Amino acid sequence: MNERNERIFGVACTFRKPADVFHAAEKVRDAGWTRWDVHTPFPIHGMDQAMGLPRSKVPRLTLLGGVTGFITGCLLTWYMNSYDYPLIVGGKPYWSAIFPFPVLYECTILFAAFGTFFGQFILNRLPHHHHPLFELPNFARVSDDTFMVVLEAHDPKFHVDDSRNFLQSLGGQEITVIRD
Amino acid sequence: MAHAHDSSSERPAILDKVRPAELPRPKLILNDRGFHWITDKVCGIVEEPTPLWWKVLFGVALFIASFTGLGLFYLVSTGTGTWGLRSPVGWGWAIVNFVFWVGIGHAGTLISAILCLLRQKWRTSINRAAEAMTIFAVMCAGIFPLFHVGRVWFGWWLLPLPNQNGIWPQFRSPLEWDVFAVSTYFTVSTLFWYMGMVPDLGVIRDRAKTWWRKAFYSVLALGWRSGNRQWSNFEMAYLLLAGLSTPLVLSVHTIVSFDFAVSNVPGWHTTIFPPYFVAGAIFSGFAMVLTLMLPLRAIYRLHDVINQYHIDNMCKIILATGTMVGYAYATEFFIAAYSGNVYEKFAFINRAFGQYSWAYWIMVSCNVITPQLFWFKKVRENHSLVWIICIFVNVGMWFERFVITCTSLANDYLPSSWGYYSPTLVDIFTFFGTFGFFSVLFLLFIRFLPLLPMAEIKMVAPQADPHAH
Amino acid sequence: MSDSSSNLSSKWTTILSFGVIALVAAWALAFLGLGQHDHRPALSVLLGCLFWTSLLIGMLMLTMITRVFDAGWAPVIRRNWEFMIGALPVVLLLGVVPLAFLPDFRHLLWEWTDLKHILPSGHEVGHDPILQAKEWFLNEKFFLVRISLYVVFFSVLTWAMRNWSFKQDTDRTASHTHTLHAFSAAGIPLGAVALTMLAFDCLMALSYHWFSTMYGVWFFALSIRLALAATVILTYRLSNGGWLDGILNQAHRHVLGCLMLAFTVFWAYISFSQYFLIYTANIPEETFWYNIREFNPVTGLKSDWWGVSMYLIFGFFLLPFLALLFYRSKIVPKRLLTIAVIIFIGGIVDLWFNAVPRQIVDKTAPEGFTVSPFLCGGLATDLLAIAGFGAIVIGLFLRSATKAETIPVHDPRILESINYHE
Repeated sequence: MNERNERIFGVACTFRKPADVFHAAEKVRDAGWTRWDVHTPFPIHGMDQAMGLPRSKVPRLTLLGGVTGFITGCLLTWYMNSYDYPLIVGGKPYWSAIFPFPVLYECTILFAAFGTFFGQFILNRLPHHHHPLFELPNFARVSDDTFMVVLEAHDPKFHVDDSRNFLQSLGGQEITVIRD
Repeated sequence: MAHAHDSSSERPAILDKVRPAELPRPKLILNDRGFHWITDKVCGIVEEPTPLWWKVLFGVALFIASFTGLGLFYLVSTGTGTWGLRSPVGWGWAIVNFVFWVGIGHAGTLISAILCLLRQKWRTSINRAAEAMTIFAVMCAGIFPLFHVGRVWFGWWLLPLPNQNGIWPQFRSPLEWDVFAVSTYFTVSTLFWYMGMVPDLGVIRDRAKTWWRKAFYSVLALGWRSGNRQWSNFEMAYLLLAGLSTPLVLSVHTIVSFDFAVSNVPGWHTTIFPPYFVAGAIFSGFAMVLTLMLPLRAIYRLHDVINQYHIDNMCKIILATGTMVGYAYATEFFIAAYSGNVYEKFAFINRAFGQYSWAYWIMVSCNVITPQLFWFKKVRENHSLVWIICIFVNVGMWFERFVITCTSLANDYLPSSWGYYSPTLVDIFTFFGTFGFFSVLFLLFIRFLPLLPMAEIKMVAPQADPHAH
Repeated sequence: MSDSSSNLSSKWTTILSFGVIALVAAWALAFLGLGQHDHRPALSVLLGCLFWTSLLIGMLMLTMITRVFDAGWAPVIRRNWEFMIGALPVVLLLGVVPLAFLPDFRHLLWEWTDLKHILPSGHEVGHDPILQAKEWFLNEKFFLVRISLYVVFFSVLTWAMRNWSFKQDTDRTASHTHTLHAFSAAGIPLGAVALTMLAFDCLMALSYHWFSTMYGVWFFALSIRLALAATVILTYRLSNGGWLDGILNQAHRHVLGCLMLAFTVFWAYISFSQYFLIYTANIPEETFWYNIREFNPVTGLKSDWWGVSMYLIFGFFLLPFLALLFYRSKIVPKRLLTIAVIIFIGGIVDLWFNAVPRQIVDKTAPEGFTVSPFLCGGLATDLLAIAGFGAIVIGLFLRSATKAETIPVHDPRILESINYHE
């Protein structure tokens, strides 16, 4: 491998217990890191606060989807049953918010769910099949029972040796440098 | 742990007296199983060589499913006259089966969404399979109205698409609401199910040995890296989808009940139908969950993660919803008598003592009486008995839809046009085959996808608490 | 018990006497109305009683539901429900019971009991074929038996839920929790039947031609909403200089907020479904009930009841619903309190909507009747009665609080409840 490809993505460090990684995360947060992440087999309760993450922005996309869905439903039923082909059925008005309410309701939920589902994947930048972490041999165990803190090279505080020592001081076990 | 108290004032004196009586909470995971054990157990199901019983069952299921194919082929090539529908009963088994299967699906959403909002941690062991059941049940349900339209190749007229006649769907019709409700339900349930599965697919991907396995599960897992920044969005989205699915699942069976209740047919037009149908749907769905999970638990030795506590809870939900259904039966009867309306009165007396009384009493005994056995701990602990009662509930709930649909239509306002409905062989074939179709899908799910949600089970394990010592 | 909370409890006699005075005034007005054959002041007493009955039944149901679920967050809040529900039999005995048992009031309020009453059609009630078809149920004797049964049933159930819970304070026995669990499991279905029949008898039968199978479920939804709103208001006060000071935390408020949201949606679902099914099927036997709540039968124009129904949609559903969607509304005490007050007021409006409009015979009107108006002096007596019953309930609540620990110190889940976090 030639030197140009020897770029570094970051430094990873594994932990055995949720409590260990939790306290490590608190220390990384307090040290002022911004480009880093904690990889865990399952979401750990309170980890967002331990990492100092803001509340997720998914709800905004849900709301956007819901409003879009409601308006779409109104336009759909109004255009089809009142504007383009008006028809009297069952003594009901051409358009009112009452009789097509089930349709408006379902459209609202459908679009809100789209907003949530796709919003989540967009915010998480997925699908993303090629990532330096996947090249790390012990990363496969993170989805099983291992916990990992990854400090990324993009962070202004990053320096290979200092960051390694920092992770060592947090009580991490296997410390590895991730190549990009 | 820090107490999140608001007031900065001194500690209230009464706290010194606090000394809880001993009553430990039941454990969700027995034998202190660790994270790795959970991964091994669940992934093992997918990774082991295909067992013989699976192959045999799959063959049987395919064979049974072919009955639906046969029935539908005959129907389409000959015409809907081959079903037992004739005046006055224009809605026979097709609608009964549709409502039956949609109802089954509702328990999956209840477990994944409503119990999630209620923070019932025990749901984690069963929610994945129950959600899969939802999706497959809705697929079975969709077959019936689709083919009931007669010329099935015009089925797309149900959708809001322009056709050559320049006519649009008619949004005052409850059947059109159904199209929106059921298709939304199917879509959102699938999204919810898949999204919840992505992290677990990542686990199988990470353990995959052969390249095709790796490729298959990598594509499905979308490159999930289980970073907390991802989990944060994931958990929020999961909660929101749960929050959206809850009103959705209520609306779906509500709209199904509207098919009946917005009419003025005696026995159909009654205002309690929406919540009553929803309760009935959850009731039948839970019975189906137990029908499926009890054998799976035995085959895959899942006793540590699906323990007596889980089974107790499911039995109690069946008891509760069965009692709600009983409440609705009683209210309907009461109001029919109270209303003073002769048609209403007749419709209900006719249900209980008329030509379909046999179906009515099967319904009452299966739905209201048998679940009362779940009051007893001894019954809940006898799993064969639990399984049998669940079968009774499934049967009873099918009969409930039959009673509602057929008794009211067969004897409505005009005695001169009364009739008696019976299904034909084609009806029976089509319905029987859907159980095979459902089983085929469910067996494929067991074989290729994570049966239990690993991440969620790990989350409720005691050692997952970062404050535990 | 800290000084502030004992101060609070010692006020019980003052509050109770205020309630007694207000209630005596409301009853005096009802007796005055009797002389002029005016049902409205008597209806005020009924409304005041039913408002608090509904609220307390809601608290009773919540007590039992949290017991059955073994809810970890509940104990510190549930103790206050246990203090409150003791007043339920008293409220029934001071309101519905005398109204039903005194023939003059009964005939005024429940028209079907007065066989000589003239209907808009010109016939006497006694000759009404619809009533004759219902006579097996709507007859005076059976009616009085049922009213008495409600009192007995709710007395027993509230006594049970309080008794074993308070006992645990002294003997620290876990088996009381099992006893209460069993009582709750049986009490929920029985309570559902009782509250349904109570709603049929006391509200639906005020307009005896009309019927809806959903009515009991609607009453349940309203009861829980009122109970939750009252709980938020009560715990707000109790955590500011009361016995929940330093105990009630943000997570408790969050749970109450979520439950308020859920039951706001549930109430809307039930009310909408009932309206929607009657609207779509368009059968005159049912639609008249909504018609007198929308149109003035003389002019054919929208009446002031239409405004009330719009208030229910926008003020009682949409506003609290939208507000509660936001996380901060559920945790910031003042915001949650505001929403709870809106729901509390909306509950009164919903009862007005359901109980007050009735056909009043008027030979000059085209259809032979007018509808009792919304805006009238009766609103003032309604509020007087509600305040009277309310003060009695709160007085008894504070009195209960001197009889047992203000939090269930030996409940098996008490620590979970105190340390509850989101």
